[in-house]
Amino acid sequence: MAIQAVHVPESLDDVIACSARGGRIMGGGTALMPLVNSGAAAVTELVSLRRAGLCGIEVAEGVATIGAAATLAAVGEHPRLAFLRPALRTIASPTIRNQATVGGNLFVAQPYGDLGVCLLALDATCEIAGPDGRRDAPVADVLAAGTAAGEVVAAIRITLPEPGAWHYHKAMRRRLNSASIVTVASVAAPGGRRIVLGGVAPRPVRAFSAERLLDGRPLTPENLTEAGEAARADIDPFDDAYASAWYRARVLPVHLRRAFLP
Amino acid sequence: MPSQIVSLVVNGERREFIAAPGATLLACLRESLGLIAAKRGCAQGACGTCTVLVEGRPEASCLVPVETVAGASVRTLEGVTAGGELDEVQSAFIDCFATQCGFCTSGMIMVAEALLERNPDPSEDDVIEAVSGNVCRCTGYRPIVIAIMEAARRRRERAVPR
Repeated sequence: MAIQAVHVPESLDDVIACSARGGRIMGGGTALMPLVNSGAAAVTELVSLRRAGLCGIEVAEGVATIGAAATLAAVGEHPRLAFLRPALRTIASPTIRNQATVGGNLFVAQPYGDLGVCLLALDATCEIAGPDGRRDAPVADVLAAGTAAGEVVAAIRITLPEPGAWHYHKAMRRRLNSASIVTVASVAAPGGRRIVLGGVAPRPVRAFSAERLLDGRPLTPENLTEAGEAARADIDPFDDAYASAWYRARVLPVHLRRAFLP
Repeated sequence: MPSQIVSLVVNGERREFIAAPGATLLACLRESLGLIAAKRGCAQGACGTCTVLVEGRPEASCLVPVETVAGASVRTLEGVTAGGELDEVQSAFIDCFATQCGFCTSGMIMVAEALLERNPDPSEDDVIEAVSGNVCRCTGYRPIVIAIMEAARRRRERAVPR
């Protein structure tokens, strides 16, 4: 399908207006443009967020509000978001991180979208704008079901984790620029430890079984391995060019352990 | 939507051209402006051979609809050769036998230029990370990394006043 129009709106209201007329929202284009270039995208109009004023990152009182069109590079360079830097460096290449956006990362299928795994672990909130106004939604809902027609994720809000409360590990075939085999992100929050897995289901998943098993127990190698084995109940792994479903399930306990004890 | 006139500052010079809807920055550079250093490799953002600098940062130009960067400053390999002289990165690629078949070279040099601009004294790991989005199908990565380290050294030496 050939592109008939590319809209580059300069405000959120204009984004919503363009989207209402049927345009497909595009962040950095790193997921959508490959499909456009190969003729596989069922889309004729693009609505770019590049100039919509959604690139800002603000941190106040321990809460970061990240514009949906902020690039992964911009997030990694923000001094208050340094805890995410190791995770961001496991995603694609520096070149692609100059283009790929935080919002776009929520709309790619696994084994991509490691930042979405992090945001689910952080229990992020999406600020969504649409023709009927603004609303907040848990990132879990957006990851599971996207947004309604005509809506756009405008920003993502996270509570910054306490020092030492954040853990991340990604297993991949190369040290850099490779998709996920297993991704683990975890935050120890007042309400309990959240553990989220990527690479092992079509979308990022909460490892509820592992969380229950580790509740109130020390993070020993034995307990973590047991939790990783329990987490097999939470996943729906797939075969792809990077690894088989069997392999992903097989190595899950190893990588869950390594997220906490490298 | 009809084709429109798009303006870019390419290698320091304002250029205007007519672009069809959704034309990529890469296609415009090559076909409208005749700047053919950036190559169309995979058209998926995976090979890096189309890399150019947009506002000083490397981007895969095959993934950029040109309308989205209208008015931006774009630097291509053609803009690196100021006054017809090869710069440190280019000459180090030649001296270190890092060009091989040449198809990936322009993208490799553009990420190297951006790296050295931000970090004049990179470690080898920094260089490897910088080129991690650029595929060399001759598989000669080692000479490329050595060439970029050598270019950094030469540029630092040149920066020291004698």
